[in-house]
Amino acid sequence: MKLDWWVVWQHRDALVEGTLVTVALTMVTMLIAVPGGIMLAVMRLGRSRPLALASASFVEFFRNLPLILVVYWAYYVMPILLGVQLDAFTTGLAALALNVSAYNAETFRAGIASVRKGQTEAALALGMSRWQALREVVLPQAARRVLPVLASTWVSLFKDTSLVSVIAVGDLAYNAMRVRSQTFRVLEMLTAMAVIYWGLGYPQAKLVDWLHRRFGVRE
Amino acid sequence: MEFDFSPLVDSWQYLAGGLLLTLALSLLTVLGSLALGTAVGLARCYGPRWSRPALAFYVDSMRSVPVLVVLVWMYFAFPLLTSVTLPPFWAAAVALTLHIAAYVAEIVRAGMVSVREGQMRAALAIGMSRRQAVAEIILPQAIVRMLPALGSVLSITIKDTAIAAVIAVPEYMKRSETVAGQSYHPIEVFTVAAIVYFLILFPVTRIVDLIYGRVAHLGRS
Repeated sequence: MKLDWWVVWQHRDALVEGTLVTVALTMVTMLIAVPGGIMLAVMRLGRSRPLALASASFVEFFRNLPLILVVYWAYYVMPILLGVQLDAFTTGLAALALNVSAYNAETFRAGIASVRKGQTEAALALGMSRWQALREVVLPQAARRVLPVLASTWVSLFKDTSLVSVIAVGDLAYNAMRVRSQTFRVLEMLTAMAVIYWGLGYPQAKLVDWLHRRFGVRE
Repeated sequence: MEFDFSPLVDSWQYLAGGLLLTLALSLLTVLGSLALGTAVGLARCYGPRWSRPALAFYVDSMRSVPVLVVLVWMYFAFPLLTSVTLPPFWAAAVALTLHIAAYVAEIVRAGMVSVREGQMRAALAIGMSRRQAVAEIILPQAIVRMLPALGSVLSITIKDTAIAAVIAVPEYMKRSETVAGQSYHPIEVFTVAAIVYFLILFPVTRIVDLIYGRVAHLGRS
């Protein structure tokens, strides 16, 4: 079999463009999903029963669905429910944001819950208000535990963005597979795609390991 | 807005067959990745020194590449390289196993490492061999600690099998797509698919939590 690696260089524009879309999708999703997760966690931990239930249902629902199904669902059902036609990028973004918000909500909730109750009690005993105790005692400790988990979620998200290629968002996976079907250089294009994902993902995974070592809580 | 669920009723057997395939693929992948992942995880802790960098490279690479890429590469590119063509189902089983085994390996390794070193020293001090110490002292404690993470591997696997639809494995996701496309009723078909996946996955997560709650005390040392 003859391999023609030149084809990868010839289509570098499509690959670079796809990579940029993948990175943008990751960043924008996280920008939405961090506040989204905080909001859901606050709802879950707050005093209002209905809000806590709504948050719990949302989180459990999206954590227990395959992401690819959420992507399809967003593509076919959302326009009809909302009555607006969204472009593929926004649709993919919405699906990813729903999914990652649910995971982030659990991360924040677990982070806050992991700070021992005695910490809040001690803060209150010192005369702090509930809000002060939360902001000055609980959250700084929770942040250390949340950070490594958020970083792991970031890497998962980076990889999961590849799933929006099924609704023709021009990300790295979609562009690489498009060039593959145009040129029939299957092995070259798919390997190039894998190598680019690897090149971007590997340092991120290593950084996450470092964050876990640096901030991880040991018993 | 009018809903019409008749396409689902008409092709329920087709969809149920897909669901069976989803479960079969999940089961095969879970068993395969438990075996491979445990072997890799243990080898990284106790295996020959020369094998460790290679295994670390495998695990970290799988953690940094999307499962979609592994699936597509295994199905489309692997046959060109080796002239071994795998049918979609087996290509998916192999790709998913390779990917998920890396996560299992990390869970196993983290579990083994989490058992305090004093346990190993005490076992060696009372005259156990290293092999005995690992099998009879470290592993039983580590397994309990691995359980919650291994339980989540179960639900991650079931969710990841849906991605096999991309290489046309006729499992539940793929068949839902087909029915949605042919009937022009994507809302009904995909909403039912969401409910079905949820009904499978939610009990799985709950049961795993429940079992862990029962056995958690066995992992203390």
